[in-house]
Amino acid sequence: MKTAAKLKFGEKAIINYIDENHPSFRRIIEIGFTPGQEIELLSSSIFNDPLAFSLRGTMIAIRKHEAESIILS
Amino acid sequence: MKEILTENKNLITLVGPPNSGKTTLFNFLSGKNFKTVNYPGSTIEYNSTEFLSKFEIDANLLDSPGIISLIPNSPDEEITVNSLYEHPKFGVPNIVIVTVDSSQVSRHLLLVKQLLESNFNVIIALTMTDILHKKGFTISPTKLEEKIGCKVVKIDGRTGKGVENLAVTIRQILSISDNTKNNLTKLIPSAHAERIIRFYKEIEQIENEVVSEIAAEKNLKNANEQLNKLSQNFINKPDSFTLKLDRILLHKFWGIIFFLLITGTIFTSIFWLALPLMELIDEFFAVMANTASNYLGNNWYGDLIADGIISSVGAVIIFVPQIVILFIILGFLEDTGYLARGAMLIDKPLSKIGLNGRSFVPMLSGFACAIPAMLAARTISNRKERLLTIFIIPLMSCSARLPVYALLIAFLIPKENFLIGGFIFSFIYLFSIISSVVIAGIINKFSRTIIREEDNSSFILELPSYKIPKLKSVVLNTLSSTRQYLKEAGPVIIVFSIVLWVLTYFPNTNPQIDTNNLTETEIVDAIQMERISTSYAAQIGKIIEPVMIPIGMDWRIGVSLISAFVAREVFVSSLALIFRVSGDEETLRDSILNAMRHAKINGTDKNLFTPSTALGLIIFFVFAMQCLSTIAVAKKESGHWRIPLFQILIFSGFAYFATFITVNGLRLFGID
Repeated sequence: MKTAAKLKFGEKAIINYIDENHPSFRRIIEIGFTPGQEIELLSSSIFNDPLAFSLRGTMIAIRKHEAESIILS
Repeated sequence: MKEILTENKNLITLVGPPNSGKTTLFNFLSGKNFKTVNYPGSTIEYNSTEFLSKFEIDANLLDSPGIISLIPNSPDEEITVNSLYEHPKFGVPNIVIVTVDSSQVSRHLLLVKQLLESNFNVIIALTMTDILHKKGFTISPTKLEEKIGCKVVKIDGRTGKGVENLAVTIRQILSISDNTKNNLTKLIPSAHAERIIRFYKEIEQIENEVVSEIAAEKNLKNANEQLNKLSQNFINKPDSFTLKLDRILLHKFWGIIFFLLITGTIFTSIFWLALPLMELIDEFFAVMANTASNYLGNNWYGDLIADGIISSVGAVIIFVPQIVILFIILGFLEDTGYLARGAMLIDKPLSKIGLNGRSFVPMLSGFACAIPAMLAARTISNRKERLLTIFIIPLMSCSARLPVYALLIAFLIPKENFLIGGFIFSFIYLFSIISSVVIAGIINKFSRTIIREEDNSSFILELPSYKIPKLKSVVLNTLSSTRQYLKEAGPVIIVFSIVLWVLTYFPNTNPQIDTNNLTETEIVDAIQMERISTSYAAQIGKIIEPVMIPIGMDWRIGVSLISAFVAREVFVSSLALIFRVSGDEETLRDSILNAMRHAKINGTDKNLFTPSTALGLIIFFVFAMQCLSTIAVAKKESGHWRIPLFQILIFSGFAYFATFITVNGLRLFGID
């Protein structure tokens, strides 16, 4: 099961689903990480956390811990 | 706080996701004439105003903090959303205007969908169409209107084109709906996740129909790229300029270099840019006080006005340059889009000590003044992280400590040695940063006792495209922050300065002095000295003397320290007062230093001020919670007395302990 936290730089992927049990679940889908969406890992902070994804025409930075709730197809 | 709005008018509320152009639109609709007021029962602020008269709309206009959804995720958002459904004062809005970034429709229409489902009267203000055009796409407002089911108006954020159309639409709706407000339904959070996903599906379909490519040759390349795309979603990437710039600014190595450079520049310019202005203000108030004193004469009311009132007003205003410079720089950085990147870069280390990337701006602001810094902490949505940020802000070496450090360093290094002085200065700042990090980590460990909040820590932040900042909104924001500082800090400092003045002046209103062979200034000095040594302040000082002796000090420093609890910089002026220092402004510091060198501990020939006590005092000022206005704001921002009381107890207690260790430790090693 590949999560968004495991993407390589510049790698694109489609979101399959979001882990409902993650505490930030609702905020993650509200900001636009929804099933079927394409995301791309654009950059990360020096500590490899947080990660910045391209999503719906903008960049969203989320923590690695949150990226782990984004399951890719 | 005064509300400028009348309650029985129509109400129009402006909402929108962060970075959607809401503030710009608000400025266009209102001019500069807005008031910042608190949300009822909270410390969250919004702007309220009336429409510019040229729009001929007789209604109140409310601004609100950015929200991405009607289901709140933080206490702050909860208040925002609740006020939207039922504002305690103004009721339900007749119209809700939502700003939607055209290049972000798929994300920003979620809020619109939720508002429509809740039965609000919605108008969409479509912003940033120019950015969409740059990406090679265009959007049709009429199609969007048809598909989504509410009015849509295009707004040009740079020229204000379209605002007049928006006004026409508002007037139409107000006349048609006959001012009857809809029955609103609240969204239920439990069944919400599926609904969001369903909304997004619908929005994606709408987006496909209303956004289309600009058929032009220069976009052929763009169009070709479209064919290779993975999903049906077009305009899926941020603009290429942003991506290029981020390759440097978010680079693993260069990113951190630029981060340090940018924060370093902000940090130093707070001091160096502001210094000449601060000196000017200082001189101005000194002249004012002198003039008042000369004009009113040497009596209690003359002294009260000159020393008590004019000087304390000066003590408040002197920090305005620093606050203005800080907020102009931060405003520009925020508008360009860099601040979000800074927060991202620093999130990991800060999360280790229980803070958040978003704590970075408030902490940086804390180096100018803790008050605006605590207000800036409102952007932290997680309550625990926000309270912890507020908790450690007083440890950031604010500018009020500057005069104290400057005096003590000058005492330690007799000759004007700028290099060593500067080195000690940097060391003090570095020391205060490191110790605040350590203390934050410790407080975080005991957060259950002190902060009493458990909250899901998260960092989800949009990194907006880089943009050229808008001068007008930066200036307006700076003005409102400065006003806030004056409003929060001003009254407290002035009132307590007057109380302090009373304590050092009375009860001995007219001491008898042997005036033989004394010049007029010497008589004034002698009277002042006599007053202070028999004043209420001295009596209090003598009570606390047993506490001061273990750290090698006496009641006189005790009184100065007590007065420094009003505001730190008062320490210097009360030393001047107690050690009978006067003379013209240029030599004031020299006279204090001279008096400090000659001061003996009561009844002995031991020096009161020694390298060890001076260093001890520096340590004390690094840690102690000594600012009444900060305490007041910490109480207001955290909602209870818990945080400020712990700050006083922990920081000042630790300051005393650290001073004790420093002074006695140095003496143990033979450094007196």
